[in-house]
Amino acid sequence: MAGVRLEHVYKKYAGSDLASVKDFNLDIKDKEFLVLVGPSGCGKSTTLRMIAGLEEISEGKLFIGERLVNDVAPKDRDIAMVFQSYALYPHMNVYQNMAFGLKLRKFKKAEIDKRVREAAKILDIEHLLDRKPKALSGGQRQRVALGRAIVREPQVFLMDEPLSNLDAKLRGQMRAEISKLAKRLETTVIYVTHDQIEAMTMGDRIVVMKDGIIQQAASPEELYNHPVNIFVAGFIGAPSMNFITGTLNEAGGSVRFKATGIDVLVPDGKAQQLREKGLIGKEIILGIRPEDLHEEPVFHEASPQTIVNAHVEVAENLGHEMFLYLNGLGKDTVIARVDGRSGVKEGTNVKLAFDMNKVHVFDKESELNVFEV
Amino acid sequence: MSEWITQLQAILDCPVRELQLPIQDWRMLVEDSVKKDSLHPGKSHAPAIGDYVQGAEGKDLFVTKVHSHTVDLLEVERSELSDKERRLISWTLSELLAARSKSNEGVSESERYARELGAWIDAQLDSQEPMQTLPERLIARGRLFSSMIPFMLVCEQAESGRSSYNELEKLLRTFLAEEVLIIPLKEQEWLVLGPVSLINDAQLEDRDTEVEESVEESLSSIVTGLHAMLESEWIGECHVAVSQPISPANSLVATTALLRETVHLGRTFHLGSNIHLPWLLHLERLLNTIPELHRMKFVEQALKRTDAFLEPEILTTLETFFSLDCNVSETAKKLYIHRNTLLYRLDKLKQETELDVRQFRDAVLVKIILLLYKVTKRT
Repeated sequence: MAGVRLEHVYKKYAGSDLASVKDFNLDIKDKEFLVLVGPSGCGKSTTLRMIAGLEEISEGKLFIGERLVNDVAPKDRDIAMVFQSYALYPHMNVYQNMAFGLKLRKFKKAEIDKRVREAAKILDIEHLLDRKPKALSGGQRQRVALGRAIVREPQVFLMDEPLSNLDAKLRGQMRAEISKLAKRLETTVIYVTHDQIEAMTMGDRIVVMKDGIIQQAASPEELYNHPVNIFVAGFIGAPSMNFITGTLNEAGGSVRFKATGIDVLVPDGKAQQLREKGLIGKEIILGIRPEDLHEEPVFHEASPQTIVNAHVEVAENLGHEMFLYLNGLGKDTVIARVDGRSGVKEGTNVKLAFDMNKVHVFDKESELNVFEV
Repeated sequence: MSEWITQLQAILDCPVRELQLPIQDWRMLVEDSVKKDSLHPGKSHAPAIGDYVQGAEGKDLFVTKVHSHTVDLLEVERSELSDKERRLISWTLSELLAARSKSNEGVSESERYARELGAWIDAQLDSQEPMQTLPERLIARGRLFSSMIPFMLVCEQAESGRSSYNELEKLLRTFLAEEVLIIPLKEQEWLVLGPVSLINDAQLEDRDTEVEESVEESLSSIVTGLHAMLESEWIGECHVAVSQPISPANSLVATTALLRETVHLGRTFHLGSNIHLPWLLHLERLLNTIPELHRMKFVEQALKRTDAFLEPEILTTLETFFSLDCNVSETAKKLYIHRNTLLYRLDKLKQETELDVRQFRDAVLVKIILLLYKVTKRT
């Protein structure tokens, strides 16, 4: 097993002045489960393909372990790939599919057999070893693709949206299985996804990318609770964070945030930071997650200075929770996540308390989180 | 006639003819010329590339290849060559052809045959009137009468990353079948002939329970598997194409042309795609024949705003929409967006271009415009 290090890596395509990946610096530790996440076209797959050796690195250095591998062919990088279109070898059965890479590397038959059967056992596909890929379901094929990678016992696993061809139920199941597998194999995994649930649930660390640039690399908790900018704040979390443009005013020693339909008290600790950064009297963007808007009376009693009134345009009841789409708070629709049993009705007005200890404040120009800079 | 002979003919400004003589006859000519105050005294040893002698009727003969019982010769019509010119031709031939024959040293019989076959195919493709049927000498040594699946493989690796013929042969024999034939064509371009039995191997054993797969579907899954294997087990990125099984003895040239065209069309019209299937590129083939000027004129006439399709988001949306047979729900699912978001994007496009891709007529037009964009927008 080994870590992976990228130093000032760039990817530029011929005929294009713009780099698809820009100044990518990252040290992925041995046995780490790292997730690259971001919208389509953000450069996450390109980065993975450069690590795999399927794309040339235009500039910068890539190390697997301590070995510089910029000019090493994929087959010699000691990596295994599982991609979205898990192309199995259709003319071979499951056993042959899994054994092929080892056969090519001249492993002894007994060793091949041992590794294939072990991997099949881990993946619960022992009963499918004689079948051809055509006779397998989507989930089974995905397991075979994983098995083909596992038997190689590579230093690093590279996975690019490996679950996106599966239905939602199977995806949830495989998500847990891959996490379990990574821990059991004690191997380094670099996993690309557009799906933030996969990112949050699987990764030891998540790298959020946009326009070929790393926005933030941190643990799931850190990303969720301390996003460094508006993009990360809006990308992680579903429904995403609410952003309300308004001003910070100070009167009688207390700082208040004001916007259309909102006049709430900023807690002392945060107010002091905002003063120090010279943001009082300025227009800022307030970020608040849907679960930090509370409809329960107990919150209203605890923080009477942060209560707002809003009109419920739509109420989506999912049973255990309810999403309220609210009008009258700033310019855009604000979403609140409340208890499914709260009984809030569409078309009515609702009283909500902002949990101001959880809010984020973003600079309007730079879009950076002023508490994290 | 080889290209270099045509070039030599142009330089000398006189006819140059290829011929073959038994070695005995060559030796006699050499002995005769020695007797007649030869041009090349003392050349009684075994013939070598570049040796020359004055033949009958004042023609000059130069050795281009030596076989066990015969020699290949170039006959230059002009007998007025100066001695310096003769020496220059002799030296050029020995440098050029000896280097070629040396590169064949240490090469296996199967590789030598494959190279010969590749050179013949290339020569036919370059020729004005290509022969379609393989000559006897090439058929006899191959297995070219049985039906085979033709694949084309194109790589673009830096010199340092290139693999040898032997490595590729070993890899494909392990992957496809022992009887696979790999024919090198241009630099880093190979024609691969695999057994037809692969199709049966790729299909379901139990035909009763499932609808039988078409040959095209089987070929598509085989070539997709081949591409995945080459990416991970060989040198990385490469382009592959496949076509319907052929009988190589009489359709190797046409098939090579088809596959080469397929890779070219696929790479031109479908950037980012590495697997190219000729039966999915009919429209591209047709559009490729339209002259540049007409293409640009068409796009200008069909579109009010020629920049309407340049945004990556709308391009991805439309490409996905067309690939899923204009199914709104499936497209939204594939793009991970809400159905209404997709409808909003399509409506916005309709407002900007007056083309509604949910209507068949407009969908066809937009599909053609998108394809033409890929070959005209750079100009």
